[in-house]
Amino acid sequence: MLFRIDPSAARPLFEQLAAQVRAAISRGELAPGTRLPAARELATSLDVNVHTVLHAYQELRDEGLIELRRGRGAVVTAQAGQDYRPLHAALSAVVVEARRLGLHPDAATALLRDALSAARTTTPGPTPQETS
Amino acid sequence: MTTETTPRQRAPHRLATAVWTLAVPLVSAGVTAAQVLAWRDRLPEPVAVHWGPDGADGFGTVAELVVLPLGVIVPAFALGMWALGTFLGRAALTRRIAAATSVWNGVFVSGVTLTTAWVQLDLTDASRAGGLGAGIAASLVAASAIGFAAGQLTPGDRPQPASGPLPADAARLPLGENEQASWVSTVSQSGTWLLALVAAASVVLVGWATDQWILTAVFAVILGLPVLAFTLWTVTVDHRGLTAASRLGWPRQHVPLDEVESAAAREVQPLKEFGGWGLRTSIADGGTGVVLRRGPGIEVRRTGARRFVVTVDDAETGAALLNTLAGRSRLDR
Repeated sequence: MLFRIDPSAARPLFEQLAAQVRAAISRGELAPGTRLPAARELATSLDVNVHTVLHAYQELRDEGLIELRRGRGAVVTAQAGQDYRPLHAALSAVVVEARRLGLHPDAATALLRDALSAARTTTPGPTPQETS
Repeated sequence: MTTETTPRQRAPHRLATAVWTLAVPLVSAGVTAAQVLAWRDRLPEPVAVHWGPDGADGFGTVAELVVLPLGVIVPAFALGMWALGTFLGRAALTRRIAAATSVWNGVFVSGVTLTTAWVQLDLTDASRAGGLGAGIAASLVAASAIGFAAGQLTPGDRPQPASGPLPADAARLPLGENEQASWVSTVSQSGTWLLALVAAASVVLVGWATDQWILTAVFAVILGLPVLAFTLWTVTVDHRGLTAASRLGWPRQHVPLDEVESAAAREVQPLKEFGGWGLRTSIADGGTGVVLRRGPGIEVRRTGARRFVVTVDDAETGAALLNTLAGRSRLDR
C-alpha cells in the first residue's frame, strides 16, 4: 500500500499515517491477516522517526484494527474486516449534532464514553480494547 | 568509433568474469582429470562408469570416466556462462549468476567424477564398487559453498547516476511538494505449495533410494533454503529507490533512485521472458528480474543499459511513484 506524509501539514505525522491505514482498511485494500511493514522499516522508508510509526500503530491497535506482536510485526485483525460504514455514518451524525449544539469536543467525547460504558454494563457484548 | 546511434555498453569486470566462469571450473576439471589418471594403476579394468539403484551397472575405460564430464560438460557450460557474463553482464546480478552457476557446475561435476574413481580404488572387480552417496553429498556442499562465494566475490556495479530528465510520458503519481511517500507491496511465488511438495518428495525419494541419511539431509537443506528464501518478497519504492528483498532479507535487489531512467507497469511472463521463476537473468539481453509469478510487474529502465523487472501487485502505483520520486530528485540537483 501507499503511505504518504506531509511534514508541512498541521496534522501530526502519526495521525496522517494512522488515517491512511484506517482508510485502506475501510476501502478493503488491507484484508484481515495482511502484515504491515515493520515500524523500523516504514520509518526509514518514509524518513521519519520510528516513534512516529509506532505511535500510529499503537493508535490503530487501540482501535482494534491491528495486532502488534513481538517478532511478527503489525497484522490487520479479523475485526478490521467488519463493515464500518454504518458506524462511520452514525458518528458523522453525532459530529453534526454536536456542532449544531455548539458542544465542546471534550464534552461530546465524554457523552459518547458514558453511553458506551452504560451499554457495556447492560449488554455483555465483546469489548475489544480498553482505552484509558 | 563513438558515433553509434544505439550505444551498446560493454559489461564491466570482464577479467573477474573470466576468472570465475572459465578459470576456476576448468582448473577444477583439469586437476580432477589429472588425479583420476594418476590413479589409473589402482583402478580395476574395466572401471565402472555408471551407477544404478543397485550399484555399478555400466563399465568402460578410465578415459570414458573423465572425457564426457570433465572434457565436455564442464568446458561447454563454462564457455556459455563466460559469454553471458562478458557480453550481457552489464548488471551485477547477471555476472553473479554466471559466476556462481559455472563454479557450481565445475566443482560439482569434478567432485562426482572424483568420487566415481575413488570408490573403485584398489578393487579388482568394478561391480563391487560402493555407493556414491557420501561423495555426491560432499560435492553438493562444496559446489554450493564455492559457488555462493564466487557470486559474493563477483564485483558489483559502480554508481551510474542518470544525467537526463525522465520522459514526460512516464506515469506519475500526484504528490505534494513536501510530501514523503513509501509504497510497499508483497509478492509470493506462484505454486509455493507445489514447490514445497516437490522438494519434500525429492528428499524422501533420495533417502528411500539411496538409504543415505547424510545425502538426504544435505538435499533437504539445499532444496529447503531456496523455498524459504525465494518464495515471499517485499517490494518497496521510496526516496532510496526500488528495493526487492526476500523474507529472509537476502537475496535483495536494489535500484537507487538516481539510476532510474523510467519505470512502467506491464504484464510479465516469467517463463517466456526469463526461462523460469525466481531471481533471474534473461539470456536475451542480460536484463535481470525477481519474477515469481505471471501477471503485473514493474519494469525499471536503469542507467548503464540495464533493466530490472519485478512481478508485484499494484505495480502501477509503484511504477508511478518511482517515476515521481526520481523526477523530483533530478530537479533537486
